Amino acid sequence: MRRVGPDEAKEAGEIARLLSYAVILLASFGLFFAATDIPVSRFEKLGSGAFPQIVFAAIAFVAAIAIIDALRKIPGPAYGRFVAVTGAWVRRRYLVFIILGTLALYILAIPITGFSFASFVFVFAVQVILMPRRTKSVVIAFIIALIFSFGLNGLFAEVFTVFLPRGVF
Amino acid sequence: MDDFLIGAAQIFTFATLAYMLAGSVAGILAAAIPGFTVTMAIVLTLPLTFAMEPLQGIAVMLSVYVGGYTGGLISAALLGIPGTPSSVATTFDAFPMARNGEPGRALSIGVWASFFGTVISTIVLIFAAPPLALFAVRLGPWEYFSLIVFALTIVGSLVGSSVIRGMLAGLVGLAISTVGTDPMLGRPRFDFGIEMLQTGFPFLVVLIGIFAISQLVAEVEDANKVRSGNPLVTGAIDFQTWKVMKEVLMRPLNLVRSATIGVLIGALPGAGGSIANLVAYDQAKRASKHPENFGKGEADGIVASEAGNSATAGGGLIPLIGLGIPGSAVDAILMASLMVHGISVGPRLILDNGDLVYGMFIAMAVSSLMMLVVAVFSMRLFLRVTEVPKWLIVPVVMTCCVVGTFALNNRVTDLYLLIFIGIVGYTMRALGYPLAPLVLGVILGPIAETNLRRALMTDSDLSLFLTRPISLIFLTAALLSIAWAIRSHLKNRKTAERSSDAPAS
Repeated sequence: MRRVGPDEAKEAGEIARLLSYAVILLASFGLFFAATDIPVSRFEKLGSGAFPQIVFAAIAFVAAIAIIDALRKIPGPAYGRFVAVTGAWVRRRYLVFIILGTLALYILAIPITGFSFASFVFVFAVQVILMPRRTKSVVIAFIIALIFSFGLNGLFAEVFTVFLPRGVF
Repeated sequence: MDDFLIGAAQIFTFATLAYMLAGSVAGILAAAIPGFTVTMAIVLTLPLTFAMEPLQGIAVMLSVYVGGYTGGLISAALLGIPGTPSSVATTFDAFPMARNGEPGRALSIGVWASFFGTVISTIVLIFAAPPLALFAVRLGPWEYFSLIVFALTIVGSLVGSSVIRGMLAGLVGLAISTVGTDPMLGRPRFDFGIEMLQTGFPFLVVLIGIFAISQLVAEVEDANKVRSGNPLVTGAIDFQTWKVMKEVLMRPLNLVRSATIGVLIGALPGAGGSIANLVAYDQAKRASKHPENFGKGEADGIVASEAGNSATAGGGLIPLIGLGIPGSAVDAILMASLMVHGISVGPRLILDNGDLVYGMFIAMAVSSLMMLVVAVFSMRLFLRVTEVPKWLIVPVVMTCCVVGTFALNNRVTDLYLLIFIGIVGYTMRALGYPLAPLVLGVILGPIAETNLRRALMTDSDLSLFLTRPISLIFLTAALLSIAWAIRSHLKNRKTAERSSDAPAS
């Protein structure tokens, strides 16, 4: 794997931030004009769209300053290295993306399989992904998964009378 | 005086004290779990108080409330996740201090500061509630709007390494708050035909997604560290209870200033602990001889934040009692519980139910003492969380966040929002955006909008924002806080440039 120096990482970070400012600027433009379509009320001076317009105009103003500031800071050759440096950054954080993906799957599964089963699979799977795999750890993970899925569901149903999703089965 | 004694007699019964003790433990436990907020704990306590006497019920809820502020401190210090929005500033210094190997000291400082903050606020309340309530009555929508502008500029300029990203995050928070029905006329906005956006982004879901999910995900960035099975916080936990008490008391100016800020901000309806902890922290940083140490584990930072947020618990009772306006979500639940018992909350509350009001003040003081006793003697039990390795705590707390998010409104769609907001939160964290201004923006957005529109409905003259003295003070303070932040930012940059040039020269 290519090694990334601290200066290269900093420059790539600045470019990523520049991209985020650009996305925020574009979104604020779009939403500013969407807010102009919100009909005004004859009972008040401002209407429902005025406050969002003020907010999005302020966002656009600050984002524009941020873009100018970022462009000033980033040296030309940094743009060429951006994709490679970002790729290395993503590869280093592969666990983050695995966990976010697992969490998304878990949340999508809750209405189908029910809270207890989905939580059991999620808690057990994530523990196994993250843990140093030893028999003792796997046993602990299994017990913890049981407690924080079926146990948690029982606690909420019996004590707090909050009924977590039961699923379609 | 009669009312005071009647109130005291109702509080100091065995049953009430036992319920309050249980409430205190429940509050600490609930808020210690990120995603399970003190508001939710109080909502769950509410049905249990229906069968109690009005003051007894309120006393239990107040003990959950006061305990909850301390619980928020535990997760703020040990996990870097504010258990409640009120402990956002606590994470700035308590978390680095805990990570530097002094988790016990960080917690002890927070617990003592919370205790003294609540006690000071209760004393202030008893002696100064009427004039403070009169001051709050005089504030119109112009002043409220200016106050929120001031609060947001402080937050934007205070946290993180970049003023621009801080301001952007705060503004994005305000933008998020505009999604859903508008707060004045109920007209739908920016829902893009998606059903789950019609009610807007519930702020607790935003809070859990932005802080909890993004922080938990950030915990697994380094695969080697996670797989080593090390606990989240390393180092022996030594509370040094009495030593730390002296340490906290050696900062009387910071304590009194932060508690006073907490009481004053808590007394303003709409503004609560979520602003007070940041304003108190900001003031402590400005007054400090070593502002550069803030954010790196400075004890003064923890004292300011915790004394400030705990004092709002008392301050928040002023508009509730004086005006019948709840200062925060928790105060709204307290108001609901009084109404369940047939007590009308409004300016006449103190005249008609003086014993109840004084009883509430006494309950506040007793709750803070209970919180202190529970925290000092059983914090070790609550701290078992620190011995748990990351691989276990990450999925378990994520599941608690999912349960917390669902239980707020019993809506599966809130879970979809949670994962979306969690991903956005992590992206923003990775890009170096501070997250606190965003969450504050979401909470303050509807209040700002309502007051701006109300002000202009009352009088369309915009210059009133500048000609009303209190409004002008807040707006000037907002401008000064931006100017100060830019100045110190430029100063830091110059220092950094000079130090990077030094080896070459």
